[in-house]
This record gives sequence, structure tokens and C-alpha cells, in this order.
Amino acid sequence: MIGMQAHGGARLRLAPRKDIKLSSIGLTALTYVIAFVVFFPVLWMVLAGFKTEGTAVELPPKLFFSPTLDNFRTAIESSGYATFFGNSVFLSVGSTILALLLGVPAAFSLGLYPTKRTPSVFSWVLSTKMMPLVGIIVPLIVIYKQIGLYDSRAGMILLYAAMNLPLVIWMMGSFFAEVPREVLEASQIDGAGVLRSLISVVLPLTAPGLAATALLSVIFAWNEFFLAVNLTGPNAGPLTVYISGFMTSEGLFWAKMSAASTLAIAPVFIAGWVAQRWLVRGLTMGAVK
Amino acid sequence: MNPSTAVAATAYTESTRRPRPRWPGFEFFMLLPALLYLVVMTQAPFILTLWYSLHTWILTSPELGKPWVGLENFNYTVLQDPTFRDAIINTLVMTVGIVGGSLVLGLAFALLLHRPFPLRGLVRSLMIAPFFVMPTVSAVVWKNLLLNPVFGLFNWITTSVGLPRTDWLGVAPKLSVITISVWEWTPFMMLILLAGLQGLPEEVREAAHLDGASGIGEFLHITLPLLGRYIQLTVLLGTIYVLQLFGEIYVATQGGPGTATTTVPFYVYQTISQSNDVGSSAAQGVLAVIFASVIAALLLRLLAGTFRGSSQ
Repeated sequence: MIGMQAHGGARLRLAPRKDIKLSSIGLTALTYVIAFVVFFPVLWMVLAGFKTEGTAVELPPKLFFSPTLDNFRTAIESSGYATFFGNSVFLSVGSTILALLLGVPAAFSLGLYPTKRTPSVFSWVLSTKMMPLVGIIVPLIVIYKQIGLYDSRAGMILLYAAMNLPLVIWMMGSFFAEVPREVLEASQIDGAGVLRSLISVVLPLTAPGLAATALLSVIFAWNEFFLAVNLTGPNAGPLTVYISGFMTSEGLFWAKMSAASTLAIAPVFIAGWVAQRWLVRGLTMGAVK
Repeated sequence: MNPSTAVAATAYTESTRRPRPRWPGFEFFMLLPALLYLVVMTQAPFILTLWYSLHTWILTSPELGKPWVGLENFNYTVLQDPTFRDAIINTLVMTVGIVGGSLVLGLAFALLLHRPFPLRGLVRSLMIAPFFVMPTVSAVVWKNLLLNPVFGLFNWITTSVGLPRTDWLGVAPKLSVITISVWEWTPFMMLILLAGLQGLPEEVREAAHLDGASGIGEFLHITLPLLGRYIQLTVLLGTIYVLQLFGEIYVATQGGPGTATTTVPFYVYQTISQSNDVGSSAAQGVLAVIFASVIAALLLRLLAGTFRGSSQ
């Protein structure tokens, strides 16, 4: 819109084709501006991580400053950060492996041997994902405290696996359903059992889908906060909980906070950009390809 | 499909045999562990939530025991607790604001991205970035670097143009939380709607151009109805996720000031973690599940009705 107004004068003098081109340039410029605004909070945080504490709170903001890595060093060395970071890695990778071990065979069964009950099984699996976590958190706290899983990595892995299992079943189900039946029939004529045709025929064909599913599962577990804040303490707490400790503004070190936050989101940014192509499928549980 | 698959596929197309597992029922046993796991981890705790909600049980006062009180917790939660009522209203208001705001922006951004232009991939990556930021980081960054009344960038901008210094989270807490969350959820809406746009049949749009439809007319009468199914999906999924809004509240406002931004999940958290009241928090949890299910069911019917005529 802005662009169209800016080029309003030129519009009158130009042929229609040129006119389309100019308004298109305007829309493109608008898109660039919006992308910058949308990304700005992230950019601002990353920049603050490279400033000194003094520069970080300086207004008007300094556009040119000599970057320092001190905050990243302080953040990493500060008490507990390494533990929280390690926990995030452990919980997200561990729960993803468990969810894949349980979910891939289930998706294989549902996707390639559908029966008349398959649609209702898929719906039921999805409905478990829709269950608000507040509906199960109270017994989880009580029971985890009783059986010693409270503030344990194992306890969190079990929960995050359950959280990501519907995603794995739906996404892998949609990938498996795309495997041509003939391929499967071929492998079975060759005498391969169900398990062998899964491992040696179907999985290699759906490897990109499997990788995408795993990445998305890692991302969702990495960013989970509600279960983590209710069920972990200093032993099994992941980064989401560590960062929430910065919620009191008073006497805060913004540069250090920004450096710690930048490190906390970096792995997911990398994983997210790698998995971009399959993101929509994951977000819609396979409904939109 | 890669070429070798295609070859394998054509080589065996003459076969008319249906694929049969070698051991009957084996495929069922591949499914069973996952289903059992989901029952144990999600259904069983909900049954326990129901059971706890019928008892008085304060974790810090074991001497009181766990007496059965029937529906007393629900009576208290529904009829007598003003905070729970506030939490329901806040949850509704903020969910509508967040889903509505991010849907409108997401649609606009999707339309902008659904055009060929240089660096499109990079722009798309930048625009989905907020979705990958963990909720606590989003809240910490917005609360401090952007919205802080003294050192925040927003206040530098507003005071530079002569507007008064504002404590955004204090003066407009709901709007602030909605803004932060819209920033996080717009990429979600944008991605699904962009996939929808890219799936639209090109002939329909070309036909529209021949008819002389252009710009807004084409959008309103052709693109928007065809996107119906996708809009429905984004609203439905978005609502289900946003109803669980918690991390942003926890970090940015702690439900305040007063109860201005206390959502249902945050109130349940307060009841169990700060009051150690198992019975009441379980009752609140049960009501939250009913509340979410009713909204999901209503949305499904409403949206199905709205788009039935236009989308197919």
C-alpha cells in the first residue's frame, strides 16, 4: 500500500504493465519492512548479548558498538547454566527417541494396514494431544513426588514423549500413507516380514519425513515450559525454566540475560530452519502437506 | 519418490496380491504399545484429576486427611471463587485477541509472501522466527528490552515523539500479553495459510482475471472462500494451543496486576504450587478441560457451518 502511494505520480505516465511492476516493487519493499519488524525483537536480543551492560540499557540505543563475547562467557560459566542446557538437550533428544520408538511402529501399522477402525484410532490419538495440560498436572505432581520421579530427567522424558507421540503417529502416518502399495507388496512377496519391510524398505523411503518429525519433536520438547516449571527443580530443570528466572526486572543484567537467551534459542533456530519444509505438516498434524 | 522406487513399483504392478502381514495381528501389536502409553500418560492422570476433585486434600496439611467432599470443590470453584471467574473471562478475551490478531496478520503476511520476489526464502525464514523462540525468552525480551518503562525501546520511541512514558505491562496488561503472543503466533497462522494459497488452483485465479476481477475483489470473492478450510484449521488449532497460554503470563505479569492477566492454566498453577490445594486445583483442571472441549466443539460447528457453502 505504501509503495502504491509512493509511486502514485509515476502511475499516470506509465503503461499498465509498468504500473503492475511498480506496485509490485512497493509490495516487495513493504514485505521487507514487515520482515524486519517481525524479526526485530530477536535481532535486538542478539545484539544486546554482544553489548556491555552499560551499552545494553543506553538510550538512544547505540547502533555501532564494539561487540564483546564476555556476556556469553559469563552466561555459560554462571552457576547452573550448563546443567540446564544439558537437561534441555537430554530431555528433548531422549523424549524424541522414545516417541519415535513407540510412534513409528504405530504409524506404520495405521498408515499401511488400515482397517475400518483406523480413522477413529487416529482421532483418539489426536484428542490426547488436545487435552489441556492443566487437566493432568495435579496428579502428575502428586504421583511424581510419591514415586521419586519429581525433578528427574527420566520423569520429564516420559512426559515429553507422551506429548510428542501424537505428532509422531500423525506425521509418520501421513508419510507412510504416501508409500506406494506396490513397493510394500513387492517386499512382502520377497518374503520379508512386517518388521523387515518396515526397516529395510519403508523407513529408507520415508527418511526425510522421519528426520523432519524428529526435529519438530525436539523443538516442541525444547520449548516446553508448563510441565517443566511444575515438575522440575534444580536437577532436571531445562532452559525454559532457567530463563524464566529473569522475570524480575530489578537489578537485572540485560546483556547477560540476552546472551543466555540467545544461546537458549540457538539450537531450535538451527533445527527449525532445517525442518522448515515440513513445518506446516507438523503444525497441522499432517493435515496440510 | 526417487527413481529406484518408481522402477521397483512398475516392476511389481502386475501383482494383485493385497499386502498381508506374515503373522496375523502383528500390525496390531505394533500399534498397541503407543496406545497403551498414551492411555497411561494422558487418560489415567485425567481420571485421577476427576477423583482428586471430589476430595479435600491440602498437601501441606496431611493431618486433615483426604476426606470425600463430593462436588464441594466445584461448588466453591464455580459459584464462589471470583478469581476463577476472572480467569475464565481473561482466557476468553485474550484467546480471542491472540487468535484474531494473529489470523489477520498471518493472512496479510501470507498474501505478501505468496508473490515472487528476491530473497523470498530469507524473508520467509525471518518471518517464522518468532515461532521458534521459547515462550519464556519471548516474554523476557518483550518485558525488559522492549516494554520496560525506563530502559525499554518502546518507551524511547514514544517519549521521543512527545508521548508520555508508559508502563505498558502495568497500564495495559492484557493488550501487552496479547501483543507478545500475537507476535509468537502470527508465523503459525501465516505458514498454514501460505500453504493454502500455494495449493489454490491457478486456473481459478486466471479465470478471475479474465472476468476482470482484480485486487480486493479477487481476494474477497475468490481467494478468501477457497482458503476457508485452511482458515478453519488455523483458528481451531490456534485456539486449542492459545487456551493453554502460560509461559508468557508466568514471566511477563505473574497473572497481574491483580488478576488482570490470570488465565485458567496460570490460576491452576497458583492453586497447586502456591496453595498446595490438590482438591481445588483438580476441580479447576476438570473445569478447564470441559471449557476447552466446549470451545473446540463450538468452534468446529461454527466454522463448519460458515465455510460449508463457500469452501467446497
